[in-house]
Amino acid sequence: MTGAVGIEYTRVRDLRGPLLFVEGVSGVGWDEFATIVLDSGERRHGLVLEVDRDIAVVQVLEDTAGMSRTGTRVAFSGTPLRIPVGAGWLGRVCNGRGEPADGGPPVLGGSYAEVGGAPINPVRREPPNEAVLTGVAAVDVLTTLVRGQKLPLFSAAGLPHLELAVQIAAQATCGGDPFAVVFAGMGLTHADTAFVRHGLAARSAARELVLFLNTADDPVIERLLTPRLALTVAEHLAFGEGRHVLVVMTDMTAYAEALREVSAARGEIPARRAYPGYLYSDLASLYERCGRIRGRPGSVTILPVLTMPAGDITHPVPDLTGYITEGQIVLSGEVQAGGTYPPVDPLASLSRLMRKGTGAGRTRADHPAVAAQLIAALARSRQVRELADLIGRSALSPTDLRHLDLEDAFRHRFLAQRADEDRSLDDSLGRAWEVLLTLPRSQLGMLPADLLDAHALPQDQEAR
Amino acid sequence: MTAPADALSPVRAELLRAARASADAVRDRAQTDAEETLRSARATAEAVLERARELGRADGAAEAARERVRAVQDAWAAELAARAEVYAALRAAVHAGVRREFTADASIGPRCAETARRLLGPRARVTTASEGGVTAEVPGRRVDLSADALADRALDRLGVQAERLWEPA
Repeated sequence: MTGAVGIEYTRVRDLRGPLLFVEGVSGVGWDEFATIVLDSGERRHGLVLEVDRDIAVVQVLEDTAGMSRTGTRVAFSGTPLRIPVGAGWLGRVCNGRGEPADGGPPVLGGSYAEVGGAPINPVRREPPNEAVLTGVAAVDVLTTLVRGQKLPLFSAAGLPHLELAVQIAAQATCGGDPFAVVFAGMGLTHADTAFVRHGLAARSAARELVLFLNTADDPVIERLLTPRLALTVAEHLAFGEGRHVLVVMTDMTAYAEALREVSAARGEIPARRAYPGYLYSDLASLYERCGRIRGRPGSVTILPVLTMPAGDITHPVPDLTGYITEGQIVLSGEVQAGGTYPPVDPLASLSRLMRKGTGAGRTRADHPAVAAQLIAALARSRQVRELADLIGRSALSPTDLRHLDLEDAFRHRFLAQRADEDRSLDDSLGRAWEVLLTLPRSQLGMLPADLLDAHALPQDQEAR
Repeated sequence: MTAPADALSPVRAELLRAARASADAVRDRAQTDAEETLRSARATAEAVLERARELGRADGAAEAARERVRAVQDAWAAELAARAEVYAALRAAVHAGVRREFTADASIGPRCAETARRLLGPRARVTTASEGGVTAEVPGRRVDLSADALADRALDRLGVQAERLWEPA
């Protein structure tokens, strides 16, 4: 938001929804950032959507409510929206436009970066490895988040996705390496905003957090800017300052709805469920900003949270997100109804890059095998449960009954944890072993014998 | 002839012995049970006490941690408020400084007017701003070269250097 001596244009031809049409302009480019001064002296901001001859269409971030055609002045910055970047963001709480909401001065930075971001040269991308530990057993053991990965959290209305997102943002670490969290809240209610601020207070006070909060009653156009600001700040913290940065973006469905609203105001042709045809590329322009760069120490890991309207995983937002991201963590209404937090559905969840971030030298040597065996055993448990519904529990074999016990043990001993419980990886893996050992050794064929010997209880040897 | 009572005396004696033995056993068992109950009650009391101590310790630690976070937060909020105050003071000082320059150096105003005409053309209507400097206008376009606008731009360009105000020396 730099300001050189610029010409202000005063001939406003039309105001329509969030759009302002100004004529008589020259030398204005597409996507340029504009400052709009109202007759009252109030300042607003906008982006150039289109330029046709001497008419520029400006999308006003704060909406055009209260503006009049006369007395409005528009100055163009000559560049796309840029924000200061640097460590000055750490510990700050800002609105969805990046303006301080914590009573502090404007955030200052040593340099400016365009919020649109610069795509990472694919040749210089380093494949993700090493884990980001979240302190949540279901995530760390079964769908491990890997540095530089994009792993969405699929949820539905009424499920505690915000609680889980805040818990992950509050607890995540990178094994002692410099770490920071950038949390972008979009379309949050005021109660949700208070919950997020309270849940992340410790991390914010430790200056390891940047918080962007766009509330449900903020203008929708601002919502389109919020994740871009968050990612721009994160990229500089990662690749400029060598931190591992986790970007939590919630709720991406609210973001996509804002995109739909703006697209409709612009008169664009609607595509699936009235979302614009470019929803895929727009989401990709956000999600693809994660990664690691060769020769630079930091990483950007993205955890987008999205709610599936009516729990429909084929809805355009989860559907298109699933094409771009590397797996998903799925929350289940059924697990939630059983009273378990976090209600992660282990069989629908997957981290595609997990193999690259787990195992000896990264997490623990037995981690990949334990995770694979636990998923396989849970899949068998689900089959057994369905069978029991058909033929009755009394008709099940002893091994089948042990699988039902395993499912119970999984929910109570492994999955369930308090929303403020930061579980170590060793504790989580220890519980995973405890759950697995409810099965006889003959059912644990995916675990190497030496691991079984090291972990199995003496009485389990008999069951061989 | 012996009395029948004598014949029953071994039976009586045996019954008496058995009754005593049974009574002893019952008493011993009762004694053992009582001791066991006492031991178990003491152990339970000890465990309850230990658990209470643990919970108390955990509660205390959690409350202390909350208090610590609250204190750090309050300190950070106070620091941010102080920074905002200092920054506002800097802005006011820069505004006052630029206005002073305009008053002290009479050549700056005409130079601003010249710049405005260069940007908007010779037909620009140039107006002197009350705080110093000028604003200029042609239909559809305007340039603000007033003292306050120039001061704001200068402050924006200062960027991270302003952080020296609150950085430790």
